[in-house]
Amino acid sequence: MTITTTSTETTVDLAKVLRQHEIEQFYYYESALLDEHRYDEWIELFTDDVHYFMPIRRTMTRRQLGREFTKPGEMAFFDDDKELLRTRVEKLSTGTAWAEDPPSRTRHLITNVRVEDTDASELVVHSNFYLYRTRLKSAVDEWVGRREDTLRRVDGDLKVARRFIYLDQTILQSANLSNFF
Amino acid sequence: MSQTESIANQLDDLVSLERGEIDRRIFSDEEIFDLEMKHIFGRAWLFLCHESQIPKRGDFFEAPMGRDNVLAVRQKDGSIKAFLNTCSHRGNAVCRAEEGNVKNFMCTYHGWTFGLDGELVGVPGKSIFYKDRLDFSQHPLRKVAQLESYRGFVFATFDKTAPALEEFLGPTGRLSLDLLAERGDMEVIPGIQKFVVKSNWKFTVDNVFDYYHPQITHMSAFAVGAIPAPPDEFVEGGALTTEGNRLEVPFLPTDLHNIVMLGEYGHAISGPEQDALEVTSGREPFEWRYNPETQKKLGRLGSRVAGHPHIFPTTWLTAGAQLSLRVPRSPGVTEIWWFSFRDRNASKEQQTAELRSHIHYFGPAGLLEQEDGENWEQSTLQTRGDASREVPQLLKMGLQTSKIFKDDGLAVIEAPINEHAQLWTYHSWREWLRNPSWDELRARTTPGDYI
Repeated sequence: MTITTTSTETTVDLAKVLRQHEIEQFYYYESALLDEHRYDEWIELFTDDVHYFMPIRRTMTRRQLGREFTKPGEMAFFDDDKELLRTRVEKLSTGTAWAEDPPSRTRHLITNVRVEDTDASELVVHSNFYLYRTRLKSAVDEWVGRREDTLRRVDGDLKVARRFIYLDQTILQSANLSNFF
Repeated sequence: MSQTESIANQLDDLVSLERGEIDRRIFSDEEIFDLEMKHIFGRAWLFLCHESQIPKRGDFFEAPMGRDNVLAVRQKDGSIKAFLNTCSHRGNAVCRAEEGNVKNFMCTYHGWTFGLDGELVGVPGKSIFYKDRLDFSQHPLRKVAQLESYRGFVFATFDKTAPALEEFLGPTGRLSLDLLAERGDMEVIPGIQKFVVKSNWKFTVDNVFDYYHPQITHMSAFAVGAIPAPPDEFVEGGALTTEGNRLEVPFLPTDLHNIVMLGEYGHAISGPEQDALEVTSGREPFEWRYNPETQKKLGRLGSRVAGHPHIFPTTWLTAGAQLSLRVPRSPGVTEIWWFSFRDRNASKEQQTAELRSHIHYFGPAGLLEQEDGENWEQSTLQTRGDASREVPQLLKMGLQTSKIFKDDGLAVIEAPINEHAQLWTYHSWREWLRNPSWDELRARTTPGDYI
């Protein structure tokens, strides 16, 4: 579907606009689920074969920047499959997951959503995130970074089949990562 | 504050082996922290890295030694040297990356250039500005006083009078490293997890020996089966939830069978005994232990250790082929560094399984360690309250009841879960702060017959 406005010669691919809109709404919905601690619903947004990975980032010289992030098969902060993500969600509901009791107050902001142009059935989507967390009386943590997702349509719904999370920190500036990205 | 009020003059009162009490001020006092940096981190052998992290000429890894940062560098002849990451000219860091490979180190301030051995090899304008009067040999990067490897683990000290590394480690420290080295042809998996806790470093160290806390702190990990074979027996005494409900605290078969080793200079090992552990987990995960050569190397008692060794002051070897460094940055800030190992000869499947457990148990997102940081942070925070800090820290479990027997150079206690190793660590910590001679320090940190 294409709309051409003759006055400016601008061509807008409406299908892409709608796709962009759908993906952004998907991310906003996901963020809301996390910030409202609705983890049982959140986990359903992932495919059964999902790979959820947050590498370790290292301060390297420009010359060796190719080694900045660790890769699968090396150490990481998260290297989860669906089963482990489910375990994390179950852990949060045990009533004894003290790192989240009292629960963290979080806000997930997702921006700069860019969909790679492809005809493939799976979409590669880049986004930036800002995760703000406060705990107890005055503890504040914040994480900024980039996500690289592979989204797949399952029974008409978008699901995350792969999520790589690249933090803009090398030495992690928080005592834990008890929240999802 | 007058001299007599200085906490440094009250060392006798800060730790009581008899009462099992610690003065909480040691967890937030600036003066104590300065003394620790000088008398402990300025003298002790400190872990820098594993040789496998810097295999090739020019490979380097930046490691902390107290408040200093040193570069451990692989030399042209295959040896390893370490020197301060500070330019001999005006002090700027000569290396801005945390690891990597270089041909030499060039200071980005004025261009002074140092070889892999730390020697000064280049100074811009050495003739026209310095009139060739600068003696390069007098201005290398400042080297550590001593550097040695034990089975691939690289340690260094700033004290040229320190005893040799093997002697410093003693039987307890060597066993601690043997328990990791004996697992195979071990190398560090790329990627050192590093994260910050707003805690005094000593809380992060004494927790290493604390087998009393997992049942509560890590209860949720037990509940979801992240720890194999959750027990169906529970400890008496009871914890009650905020709703007044009884919280069933798991009782592990290993709880009655702990083995503790107290070492000279403050090294210690504490935790479950291997046979008791195998009652629930079976022998299969521990096949490496039953190699006759390994049994011989570890010794009769060492073969039975399944708990947590710790090399004073800050190097913890886990039971699962990881090494954790607790890096003091200030009285209230500590970095946790995780070095994770794999056996080069293990199958791909074994390596993958081990990698998964390294990532999933410890580290900031680990199902276990997620819960630890806030305990330590809150414990630290409360030591800043003028009234709260007057409450003593208690390490009374099993106090004065445990006989220490000496065997194979080791000082051993067999007992149910206890707090002996923590108390030993604080006792030794105090002796280090007195800054005695090495001989005296060794004598004062040699275990007696009871604790």
